[in-house]
Amino acid sequence: MLLNTNEQRMPVDFPPIEDLELRARKVRATCFKLAADGGEGHVSSALSCADILVALYAGWLRVSPETYQDPMRDRFLISKGHGVTALYATLAERGYFDPEEMASYAQPNSMFPNHACRLMTPWVEISTGSLGIGLGMGTGMAYSIKMRGLDRRVVVLMSDGECNEGSVWESAAFACAQKQDQLVAIVDNNNSQAVGRTSDLLGPETTLESKFREFGWSSRAVNGHDFKELTDALNDLPFEEGKPSVIVAKTIGGKGTSFSEGQMFWHYRVPSPEDLENAFRELDAQPLYGCSP
Amino acid sequence: MRRAFGDTLLRLAEEDERVIFLTGDLGFGVFDKFIETFPNRYINVGVAEAQMVACAAGLAMEGWRPFVYSIASFMTGRAFEQIRIAIGYHNLPVVVVGAGGGYTYASSGVTHHAKEDIALMSLIPGMSLLVPGDPEEVTKLMPQLIASDRPSYIRIGRFGEPTFTSDSPIELGRGRLVRKGQAIALLTTGGIVINALEAADKLQSDGIFPTVCHFHTVRPFDDATFREALNDVDTVIVIEDHGIQGGLGMAVQLRLAGMDRRIEYLRLGPGDEMALGNPSQELLMQKYRYNAESIEQVCRDLSR
Repeated sequence: MLLNTNEQRMPVDFPPIEDLELRARKVRATCFKLAADGGEGHVSSALSCADILVALYAGWLRVSPETYQDPMRDRFLISKGHGVTALYATLAERGYFDPEEMASYAQPNSMFPNHACRLMTPWVEISTGSLGIGLGMGTGMAYSIKMRGLDRRVVVLMSDGECNEGSVWESAAFACAQKQDQLVAIVDNNNSQAVGRTSDLLGPETTLESKFREFGWSSRAVNGHDFKELTDALNDLPFEEGKPSVIVAKTIGGKGTSFSEGQMFWHYRVPSPEDLENAFRELDAQPLYGCSP
Repeated sequence: MRRAFGDTLLRLAEEDERVIFLTGDLGFGVFDKFIETFPNRYINVGVAEAQMVACAAGLAMEGWRPFVYSIASFMTGRAFEQIRIAIGYHNLPVVVVGAGGGYTYASSGVTHHAKEDIALMSLIPGMSLLVPGDPEEVTKLMPQLIASDRPSYIRIGRFGEPTFTSDSPIELGRGRLVRKGQAIALLTTGGIVINALEAADKLQSDGIFPTVCHFHTVRPFDDATFREALNDVDTVIVIEDHGIQGGLGMAVQLRLAGMDRRIEYLRLGPGDEMALGNPSQELLMQKYRYNAESIEQVCRDLSR
């Protein structure tokens, strides 16, 4: 099935919110299990962007298990490459591959390494792990789309810590100058970095949404765990003609369980068997692989 | 070389619709015709080398064949990580262009000296490394870079460099045995080949006939031509406008170390220090003994 680009891009009819929430719970349970099995996994960063990924892949991104190599597909770039377990889980939930394949996560030569790698994972668009490069690559793709007059979108997911990098702002300026309204940045604004708080490190005087606005972007802040706000924002893209759009998703690191939410140490912590048990119970969901039916 | 680069780029763009050019706000006047002919395929990214490289990688993923262009020191130093990850890791056919490598911009000071550009780019596995010796090599090698379909770095000089002639064809990855002599082999890369040839000319009257072998491609290194250049030779002199680490000298030393006969090794070129005081390129070539006169003198001393 090839994507028909002449088809007018209409607002997407998303599944009911309860369905999206159920998907997200499964994705989060899977993130916990991946981190436990692989011995690493940036749980906090994966859980904070799980709802964003579930929303993007609920029919809004023009890509599917059948069209993941179609040149006309939308491109989703996970610039925060350390949050990649949430992407694997989302793709698995959407049927891109057999979820049991994820059992090899973070093992040598696995199809699912602990930072995003295009060479290992066919459904991953770019290789990341060093912050501040994905948005620039997205601007190159968006330039090409505009030159060729195509109806395609490039969505780049960044962390707020990533916005410490100067290269992000070089890219932001370029996207504005080139009027890239097919480029969308989503910032996972969980306010927790490896060892610091983003609001401390970037200064509390301005917000990320206002910084992007000053760089000429059309900017909207949403609750990154509220599917109504997320899906409404996606359906409103581009927010303005002739401007790149940014969704600053206000999120909570480790979102989903009482013991991981907002806890800095969950950036690196590997879940114990007890953590897993508690996580699955609180989420009321089982991981997508490794469970006897 | 700058003119040859601009002219060739325009011709390539006419022949190949995938060619696109990005500049870090440099190249005043050089690309006017290109801008006029292909306004959308000329992107002035601004003084933002990191963004330029990442953007080029995105374009390459969309099927374009980007050239990214800045002064060699900024191109390779400032954007190193983007070159390593966005281009190298993704193995994309982007041509990274460093204008004015080595001490081309000597008098502009240390910020503009680029005697480590080849070293930096050599750290990226699989990246072709080119340092053409004259405008004709620039013209002939550029289309071969596109055809090679892999990451590459090319250092180009400034305007109005002299040319040299050789029967040896200009092929990516092939050394050029410009003169076959004996006892001494002068191995060069970049515009310095002209200095070596000038020295070799002057030495003839004294019965000294050094071999001159020029490597416009430092990687992949042409081992066959290198071995051929060593025939009848007991001393090798590498001459390069580059620091001690990571350039042609190091490539040659590695090979000499593995050989079964002893060959004396000398290297003429910039030292392992910051060249302070904004001296001219001529002064630095004299100081580090890689102008034509110094090369000639070194050969005479060796032949006594």
